[in-house]
Amino acid sequence: MTNYMLLAPELVLTLVALAIMLAGLFFGTKHKNILGYVAGMGLFAALSLTIGGLAVNETLFYGTITIDALSQFFKIVFISVSLLVTIASIKYTEGNKNTDEFFTLLLFSTIGMMVVASANDLIVLFVGFELASLSTYALAGFEKKNPKSMEAALKYFIIGSLSSALMLFGISFVYGMTGTTSIPGIAENAGALAASPIGLIAVVMLIAGFGFKMALVPFHMWAPDTYQGAPTVISALLAAGSKKMGFVAAFRIFMVALAVLSPNWQTAFAILAVITMTLGNVVAISQTSVKRMLAYSSVAQAGYIAIAFAVMTPMALAGGILYTLSHAFMKTGAFLVVAVVGYMVVSDNKNAKDIDHLDNFKGLAKRMPLTAFAMMVFVFALSGIPPTAGYVSKFILFSSTIESGLVWLAVIAILNSALSLYYYARIVKYMYFLPAIGGKVSEPRPYAVAIILALAGVLIIGIWPEPFVYWAMEAAKVLMV
Amino acid sequence: MISMPIVSLMILVPLIGAVLTLFSKTKEQTRIIALVSSLAPLVGALYMIMNFDSSTPAMQFVESFDWVPSLGILYKVGVDGIALPLVLLAAIVVPATIIYSWGEDKQPNQFFALILALEAGVMGVFTSLDFFLFYIFWELTLIPMYFLISIWGGPRKDYAAIKFFIYTHVASLVMLLGIFALYFAAWAQSGIPSFDIPYLLEQFQFLENTVLRDSIFLALLFGFLVKMPAVPFHTWLPDAHVEAPTAGSVLLAAVLLKMGGYGLFRVMLPMLPFTGSPKLMISILAFIGVLSILYGAMLALAQTDLKKMVAYSSISHMGYVTLGAAALVPLSVSGAMFQQFSHGLITCLLFMSCGSIQHIAGTRIIADLGGLAQKMPKLTVLMLFGFMASLGLPGLSGFIAEFLVLTFAYLTLPGYVLLALLGIVVTAGYHLWAMQRSMFGVLNEKLGHLHDITNYETISMGILALLVLYFGLNPSPVLDMMTTNAEQIVSLMALAGV
Repeated sequence: MTNYMLLAPELVLTLVALAIMLAGLFFGTKHKNILGYVAGMGLFAALSLTIGGLAVNETLFYGTITIDALSQFFKIVFISVSLLVTIASIKYTEGNKNTDEFFTLLLFSTIGMMVVASANDLIVLFVGFELASLSTYALAGFEKKNPKSMEAALKYFIIGSLSSALMLFGISFVYGMTGTTSIPGIAENAGALAASPIGLIAVVMLIAGFGFKMALVPFHMWAPDTYQGAPTVISALLAAGSKKMGFVAAFRIFMVALAVLSPNWQTAFAILAVITMTLGNVVAISQTSVKRMLAYSSVAQAGYIAIAFAVMTPMALAGGILYTLSHAFMKTGAFLVVAVVGYMVVSDNKNAKDIDHLDNFKGLAKRMPLTAFAMMVFVFALSGIPPTAGYVSKFILFSSTIESGLVWLAVIAILNSALSLYYYARIVKYMYFLPAIGGKVSEPRPYAVAIILALAGVLIIGIWPEPFVYWAMEAAKVLMV
Repeated sequence: MISMPIVSLMILVPLIGAVLTLFSKTKEQTRIIALVSSLAPLVGALYMIMNFDSSTPAMQFVESFDWVPSLGILYKVGVDGIALPLVLLAAIVVPATIIYSWGEDKQPNQFFALILALEAGVMGVFTSLDFFLFYIFWELTLIPMYFLISIWGGPRKDYAAIKFFIYTHVASLVMLLGIFALYFAAWAQSGIPSFDIPYLLEQFQFLENTVLRDSIFLALLFGFLVKMPAVPFHTWLPDAHVEAPTAGSVLLAAVLLKMGGYGLFRVMLPMLPFTGSPKLMISILAFIGVLSILYGAMLALAQTDLKKMVAYSSISHMGYVTLGAAALVPLSVSGAMFQQFSHGLITCLLFMSCGSIQHIAGTRIIADLGGLAQKMPKLTVLMLFGFMASLGLPGLSGFIAEFLVLTFAYLTLPGYVLLALLGIVVTAGYHLWAMQRSMFGVLNEKLGHLHDITNYETISMGILALLVLYFGLNPSPVLDMMTTNAEQIVSLMALAGV
């Protein structure tokens, strides 16, 4: 007997998404605004249902879907990001006749990510992956008249398709050698993979496939262009949500299915982590577009999280998993700040160019004190300064690296954190020390609400980390069986 | 039983004060709220001094709660003879700074809020008994200071602020590595995760790997030495001081530097006997101490900028702390602790004098000054008082500290002490020479119209001067408790057979 209640969050979201799509046919543009609120409520309901089912551990549908601490944790990450993005988008989509499609796609991409989090079978995983990817391709190109947005979408689509192909190729090798697509099944038969060179090829294909999604160097080329060109609220979704989908999929496939091959991929991830964080931070320093800077910073952050694969102790996994949650709040918050600054610039001057340029942050503390304060917390969190979520996550992740004896990796990671402070502090300097151009602006309410929620997330995890650390550790246990 | 969480309140009240100050409407409101919320910790510190049992080295006024039990993180604060004098110092210096800066016109609400936030961070550092908490406060002190320098600083403030931030942040990260290593090694050893400082210090001696013990020791030492700062890790300090506003310099020299010294006594000395080669570590510390004393003094002698001279004199004076700690004789260690306390008070006077001169005369270049005593008698008296205390005039607090350090360090480190004695001559030299050139002699007419310091500045500096005199004549209120803890630290050495 399948317990459908366990899938309630997904079901609720699917129903809401379909309802929004249907309603879009009948509503005039004026009234479409309400659809955003509906989507928000749906996500909130899904979030509550997921949190209510945190302690479950069951498999459904002949073992193809699993509901465990890991899947629930990541679902919370995805739903939180989508919720924040949805709230902010209520303002962003105001007066747009495609509002219904925007929210439908947003919800579908969330459902896709949730399916990936729960997938216990490579085919289910791939289907979830594609659902999320296809929806986000369309969302990245949502501003149809903006060439930059189109470029972003096209680039994202082409590279995304390539990565899907690589991933599928890797999956086919794994299937060919082990005769099953079930993740626990593969783990049982992984001996055959380990014994043959095909195992290595499969690992390489899968790392490349997921590496694109996670934006690990050298698979990161699309990320800065896409994040910069896409509508800022969607950049938040991509950087904070869809990227984590790559991580949860990689966690399951590598740690559970291909655990036997860990000598093959552990070193690979250690090297990728080092290159990714270093390149991300170094390139971020020279950016003048805040969006692009955040994109590179997000590349660097993926490098930190990838340390969890290289270390592979329960503590490191807990650190990596907690990092994804913290990063969700910090990065979404930071991108939403960029969005609201963009809104401010455009309301100053309709034809403004380079709305994400660093110069627009000059004197922000005087123009929008709340936003500036929130941005300061977000960037300090991203660089790992206490008492924020970023600090707690880095603390656990880096300390576990030392525990496992990979001191060199921890030293590089810590030096990178120090380096990143340089460009993060520069934003603070622009916001607080440089004179403002223009008068005080009040943030549109939806943006303000979303930013305050993200701020609360960053500070709560930073100040009272116990429950989050506990659940991250529970989630890590799923992987360490 | 604890009726009131007095230590937590001393951290919390300035923090709440900072928020209230930030949102206050008028300048008047701002500074009154700031003053009141900085006086509250002073009341708390005095209460603790009154009710403190100086005969035991144990922690007192301890509050402990579970924070993140799955990682063994506690919220645990308390004071002993090492911490309480520094808590008192911070509680004295912050209100004095606020009174001194009474007339601040540039964004006063942010200015005073940052000072209070800094006070909260410093109080946290001096009272935390959990490494996780300690590190949080340690890092939190950086942010207000960064802003104080980069908003209210001098012409090269951006450079100085970012140099200060990155330099000390990197040092903190190295220290963090050491903390991690200690935490996990102790966890592997005992099976219990814990960041509790006394517990970890106790576990340190049981770690089997000598290289690991030495690496942990050196990583933590580096973090603290940069903060102090000791030569050769001092280069951030002169830049930060020269560019910082007067209140920033005062807090930096009087309170922030003391965090480094505090780390020596709290963390390094209890570990020292159990390192692979304690003798070598003692030699390193003593060498760095003497080097700081001599090199700092020489550089101070060569400065043309009065404030830069005072900044280098800080480095020189903090050298006594390192030297006294390295000697490991009870009275030299307590002398080093007293040096921290005493230098904290004296350096306020020096930096405030420099600030007033800069403000009134428009320059701090010694050669451009001259004869200021004729126009500024009040400042001259207070400044002379500070300079005399700084060069170690008997009867003032600096003398007691340096006397104890040098006399008792001679028992174990005679060679180093003889070298350090040379520093005293140079110290007297640069103080007197600077005083003579800037305040006495012929008045430089180019300086234009000069007036004396304001009443607020006089009150603030006067109180500090009286305290320097008081602790010079009667050091026992703080020295007794320091000696108790110093004896305990030294007894650990005997235990380890060093």
